[in-house]
Amino acid sequence: SVYHVFESVAKKYDIMNDSMSLGIHRLWKDTLLHQMNPYPGTQLLDVAGGTETNAGDIAFRFINYIRSQWDHQIRQKLKSHQNLSWQEISKSYQQEENELPGGSQVVVCDINKEMLKIGKQKAQHLGYSEGLSWVVGNAEELPFIDNKFDVYTIAFGIRNVTHIDQALQEAYRVLKPGGRFLCLEFSQVNNPLISRLYDLYSFQVIPVLGEIIAGDWKSYQYLVESIRCFPAQEEFKAMIEDTGFLKVEYQNLTSGIVAIHSGFKL
Amino acid sequence: MRGWYGSRTLVSALLGGQSQPSGAAANRRLRVAALRRASGGQKGREQQQLFDTALLQFLVCPLSKKPLRYEESTNELINQELGIAYPITDGIPNMIPQAARMIDRKIQDEESKKT
Repeated sequence: SVYHVFESVAKKYDIMNDSMSLGIHRLWKDTLLHQMNPYPGTQLLDVAGGTETNAGDIAFRFINYIRSQWDHQIRQKLKSHQNLSWQEISKSYQQEENELPGGSQVVVCDINKEMLKIGKQKAQHLGYSEGLSWVVGNAEELPFIDNKFDVYTIAFGIRNVTHIDQALQEAYRVLKPGGRFLCLEFSQVNNPLISRLYDLYSFQVIPVLGEIIAGDWKSYQYLVESIRCFPAQEEFKAMIEDTGFLKVEYQNLTSGIVAIHSGFKL
Repeated sequence: MRGWYGSRTLVSALLGGQSQPSGAAANRRLRVAALRRASGGQKGREQQQLFDTALLQFLVCPLSKKPLRYEESTNELINQELGIAYPITDGIPNMIPQAARMIDRKIQDEESKKT
């Protein structure tokens, strides 16, 4: 059945991601959310990775984060014995049932329609439905109006874009003034010892794992090679600044194996 | 945590169950439900599977960045100006220009003459 197909493909990528990064990829994505620190009401556009990243990974984390923030807010109010009328209380319950807290919205956009289909099925299976939309689109040519989103994320996706500067320009266009660009991507390791180990791991271990687990040695070899070609932290920061983003910063994770770049449209 | 969700159902019970839904989300649901009824038949229902017309508020043609029209009969998003139609599969719109098809200009002109 369709569900079985979805299950096995999604599982394969999960296992692959887990083995390759020793499960650390989950921490990287969690860190991205903590940096984002969204509040109820945030409009997010997640331009997904498509291959290595399961479409929906960032979106689901975003929804969880917003929901727990909302619950926390309500509990705080109750704790401090603030008076809530029955109408206020019932309204806050209804909001949760019909939409995400504060009217938050997530749009997941990817060039790979199969991955989106899997992501959507996963969402339905896990109980994420409201406030979540799926659109097949090209990061270099987004099908959205100007000044729409509060946050734009791209996790392990920009490396595969042919014209990175175009993707950055599109990100700038669709963000609201005050909006934030966040990119989670493989980067250059800054420590020589770790760098050597990483090289060995990348070129020896990963393609073999790729073959054994996913039956797909070539894709994972391509993955490793594409990581080498992607600009290092400072160079990518400059590209983001050239696009017009301000207050551009990056944070290295795991000795620079991965970095989170951030910029604002002001 | 469990007590919290328990009290939620208590509140809705006290307030006499689900009142008339309001707001954009409810309008969207009603529109989708109408689409489902209008399509008729099992196949139609599967194809129409939940295209959320609320997306049209911010979804545009990737080429011209201009608004689109939802064509229910073919389940496509139309850019009238450029004469192209983007397909929707499983409720997911495909906004890659290569995926779009050209609409026959002649048919378009005839239809606009009728209205």
